[in-house]
Amino acid sequence: MRRARVLGAGALVVALGFCGTGAWTYAQARSDEGLSFGRERDTALAEGRRHLTVLNTLDASTREHAEAGVRAWREASTGPLRTELGRTAPAVGASARAEVTEAALTALDVRAGTAKLIATVRVDVTPRGGAAATSDRKRLEAVLNRTGENTWKVAALSAVPVAGAEGSGKAEENEKKEGGDE
Amino acid sequence: MTRLLRGTAEETDGKAPDLGAAPAEGGPEPHTPDAPHTPDTPDTPDTPDDGDDTGVGSRFTTRWRTAVLVAAVVALLLGGSAFFHGAHQLRSTPSARNHALTDTAATTRVGGDVGEGLARVFSYAPAQADAAERSARTVLSGRAARQYADLFAQVRASLVAQRVTLTTQAVRTGVIELKGNTARLLVFLDQTSQRDGAPATSAAAQLTVTAEFRDDRWLIVDIKAR
Repeated sequence: MRRARVLGAGALVVALGFCGTGAWTYAQARSDEGLSFGRERDTALAEGRRHLTVLNTLDASTREHAEAGVRAWREASTGPLRTELGRTAPAVGASARAEVTEAALTALDVRAGTAKLIATVRVDVTPRGGAAATSDRKRLEAVLNRTGENTWKVAALSAVPVAGAEGSGKAEENEKKEGGDE
Repeated sequence: MTRLLRGTAEETDGKAPDLGAAPAEGGPEPHTPDAPHTPDTPDTPDTPDDGDDTGVGSRFTTRWRTAVLVAAVVALLLGGSAFFHGAHQLRSTPSARNHALTDTAATTRVGGDVGEGLARVFSYAPAQADAAERSARTVLSGRAARQYADLFAQVRASLVAQRVTLTTQAVRTGVIELKGNTARLLVFLDQTSQRDGAPATSAAAQLTVTAEFRDDRWLIVDIKAR
C-alpha cells in the first residue's frame, strides 16, 4: 500500500513536471520574436501584393468607375504616395488591369513598422474604345508602412530603373498613372 | 520503515499494538473483518483525522483519494500534451518554417551567392569565351544547368561573330522563401551589351530563382523569367 502511495505521489510529480514543461514550451513559442517576426513578414508581403495590384489597376471605362478606382488607390496608400494620388483627378480613359506575378520583401523593421518590397507586375492596358489590350511587365519597388494592427499600406512606389537608361523610375510610374486617367 | 513493512506482512498482530497505543477507538477495529485495511490509515502521516474513521469510511476515502489522484495525473498529462501540441503547431506553420529575413545571416548569404552567381553566369566577354560556361558549372545545377546550356548553345555563335560583351548585375534581390536547404528568390537584373565600337544598350530581366544549399554553397537549380 505504501508503495502504491509512493508511486501515486511520483506519478503526480512527474505529471506536474510534464504539464509545467509543456506550459513553458508553449509560452516560449507564443512569445518567440522570430515567430512573430515571421508572421509580420507574411502579413506585410500579402498586404503589399494586394495593394500593388490595386495601385496598378484602374477601370476608367466610365467616370464613376474611375472615381472608385482612384478612391481605391488612396485606400491602398499612405503618406507621400497618398498625398500624391490625392491630386489625381479621375477621368475616363484607358483602363489597366494588373497582376503581381512575384513579390518579395527585401527589408522589414517590425519595431518601426516599415518594409521594402520588390515585385514584378504584369499590366494589361486596354485603350478606350475596346481596341486590343497591350501587356506590359514592370518591376517595382515599394516602401510599406504599418498603419495599424496587421495593416500595411504603400508609402512609396517606383519602378526599378535599368542602369544606364535615361529617366528615373518614379517619372515612369507617374506617366503610367496619368496615362490611365486620360 | 522496516518495522512497518513487516507489520503489514504479519497482518493484524503487528498492527494492533500501534493502533491501541494511539486513539481509544483503535481497540475495536481489529475485530472487524476489515482489519487488513486499517493499517492503511495510520500510514498516512498528513491526515491524522482518518484514524478516527471507521473501516468502511477509510476505504471510501482511500478509493476517493486514488480516483482524485488518477484524475489529476490524467488531467495534467492531457494539459501538458495540449501545451506541447500547441507549441509544436506554432512552430511548424509555413510562416515559422520560412526563414527569409528572420534568419538575417542566411538570407544575406543566399541573396549574395545567387546574385553573384547570376552576374557571373550571364556576363560574357569575347576574350574569355568559356569563362561564363566554366563558372556555370560551379553555380548552376539540375534544370537551371540544362536551361543555361540550351540558351548558350543558341547565342554562342552570334556572341562570337559580333564580338559582343555582356555585363550582368543583380540590382535587387529578395528572398521569398528560405526553408532548410532550399530557397526561392526574386532577382532583378540589369544587362548591358556592347558590340565592338557600338554604344552600349541596357535591358532589364526579372527572374525567380530556386536555389539549393549543397557542399557549403548555394547552387541555382531553377530559373524562371518573370
